[in-house]
Amino acid sequence: MWTLARKLLLHDRARFAVAIAGVSVSVMLVLVQVGLFYGFMDTASAIIDASSADLWVGKRGNDSFEFATPFDERAFYKIASVPGVAHTDRVLMNFAQCKLPDGGDLGVQVVGVETTPGQPRLLAPWNVIDGDPARLAEPGAISVDASELAKLKFDRVGHVTEISGVRAEVVVATRGIRSFTTSPIVFTDLRTARSFLPQLGDEPVTYVLVRVAPGAELAAVKARIDALPHLAAYTTAEMSQRTRTYWSQRTGVGAGFFTTAVLGVIVGFVVVGQILYSGTLQYLREYGTLKAMGAKNSAVIRVILSQAMISAVLGFAVGAPLAILARAGMKGANLNVALFPALYAVTAAITVAMCAFAAVLSIVKVLRLDPASVFKG
Amino acid sequence: MPIAFAVNETFPATGAAPTAVARLVGVAKTYGTGDAAVAALAGATLDIHAGEVTLIEGPSGSGKTTLISILGLLLTPTAGEVWLEGKNVAGLGERALPGLRARNFGFVFQGFNLFPALSALENVAIAIRMKTPGARDADAQARRLLDHVGLASRAHHLPADLSGGQKQRVAIARALGGDPPILIGDEPTAALDTRTALSVMELLRDLATTARRAVVVVTHDPRLERFADRVVRVEDGRIDAITTARPSAPASPRSPQ
Repeated sequence: MWTLARKLLLHDRARFAVAIAGVSVSVMLVLVQVGLFYGFMDTASAIIDASSADLWVGKRGNDSFEFATPFDERAFYKIASVPGVAHTDRVLMNFAQCKLPDGGDLGVQVVGVETTPGQPRLLAPWNVIDGDPARLAEPGAISVDASELAKLKFDRVGHVTEISGVRAEVVVATRGIRSFTTSPIVFTDLRTARSFLPQLGDEPVTYVLVRVAPGAELAAVKARIDALPHLAAYTTAEMSQRTRTYWSQRTGVGAGFFTTAVLGVIVGFVVVGQILYSGTLQYLREYGTLKAMGAKNSAVIRVILSQAMISAVLGFAVGAPLAILARAGMKGANLNVALFPALYAVTAAITVAMCAFAAVLSIVKVLRLDPASVFKG
Repeated sequence: MPIAFAVNETFPATGAAPTAVARLVGVAKTYGTGDAAVAALAGATLDIHAGEVTLIEGPSGSGKTTLISILGLLLTPTAGEVWLEGKNVAGLGERALPGLRARNFGFVFQGFNLFPALSALENVAIAIRMKTPGARDADAQARRLLDHVGLASRAHHLPADLSGGQKQRVAIARALGGDPPILIGDEPTAALDTRTALSVMELLRDLATTARRAVVVVTHDPRLERFADRVVRVEDGRIDAITTARPSAPASPRSPQ
């Protein structure tokens, strides 16, 4: 059956090429669109995922990681004294205006973290490619991602600027620390961050990161912190998922990407369906002859399904590398297309299902084919 | 090669020859209902004998195609009996028919109906595989059949590279796949020039004589009568006459009309 299916497909090479092109484009669209979505989501939760905290504590009612309401530092001490808490770090986060070399301003997302030299912290800039992270403890020292330097019109580590009118010097450059909001992320020491964000009042804190003591039960510690007034604790995984859900659902970005992916599947479905159907029509007399001579419907259906599977496999084999090429091309535009094994596996399954469903019309045609029709002219 | 059927003991007695492999008894077919009903065949009775070439002649619309379609189990008769493998199979459902067709019939058509993408060998082998799923020696069988029809040297040619006569020989080889006792041809020579047509008929005649197959051929061409044992004339849905074309042909009953 495979031989017949393959030869019938390859007999009209132009039509076969169109079928494979249709499936390939479909596969590429699904991979790139879903990959872009996950890339954006990875970006949205990158800071959370990079932390080594067990719990993130913020003000109750916060929906968004970026737009969280700060709270008074006294709550930090309450959290630190909860039984089972081994270590706590403060994080301050908000938006400020950064002075550009040409005199303009650009909004940046300030992330203030604790930077005690020589002491490992629960959150710090990662993927450092230039500069000395130890210098972040110095007043006014900031870390900027290399991909944002052009947007900020900074030419190098060592560039001096102002954030909210306060002197700031780029002492560290990183790679891959980007914000979903498109505002460049500026990592700095907590004290420097407070000087950049005077509008938040005295000693504000946005999050407290918690490491649970060895032997302490995470859920119990979380419940104890949740019992504190106005505070809510989330595991790092929960916090990451909340952020992804917020950006995915509140902004409609998820629906947008998945709609395009679904359109890709529909395009592939229509192209493969049309190709298989026209091929079935072309060979209807031959299929009828085989049925007349005793071939069961199942035998003919296997030929058509084999054609669908060949289209699926070859379409995926071409489409997946195209998606990898597209990812490489988009990297230059600072777009992160997250392609991972599970996405490939699910897309392959979708492709097989798409091609199988596309064969349904052809299968119905063959099922209804009256073998006596071979005698009719 | 020939398949023996103990039909004589189990078929109803109509004076059939002992080698009858199929029998139509009082077969009728009506298309449509009520005022729109059209009787394509009315009360046709016909025995098909192993080793015989039976020509079916008649004008267009006379019921020839309906007759061979019912014989080949491709159409269900409105009335009458179709005897095959010792039993009346006229009322069998669609599930049972493919197996019966696969065991008993091979078909040859005017338009050949060969897959253009497949070589001669593959066209024959695929039919064998579809008739007998799991056939391990389909290619070897196909080679033998092509050799039998004189096309061994063209086994790997595509239909487009074969002449009309060669295509029809491939179609005959395909029809012989699975070793069916009955070959049905629907104007198998109509698309061929005279010389090729005669050589194809010689092949069919030889298959009947040497392999004891029953060969049933619908034709408009009276020149083919010299290859036939019997000529069945169909007019207005009735078997008008059955004549013995060759002295050696066995006697056959006439349709009771």
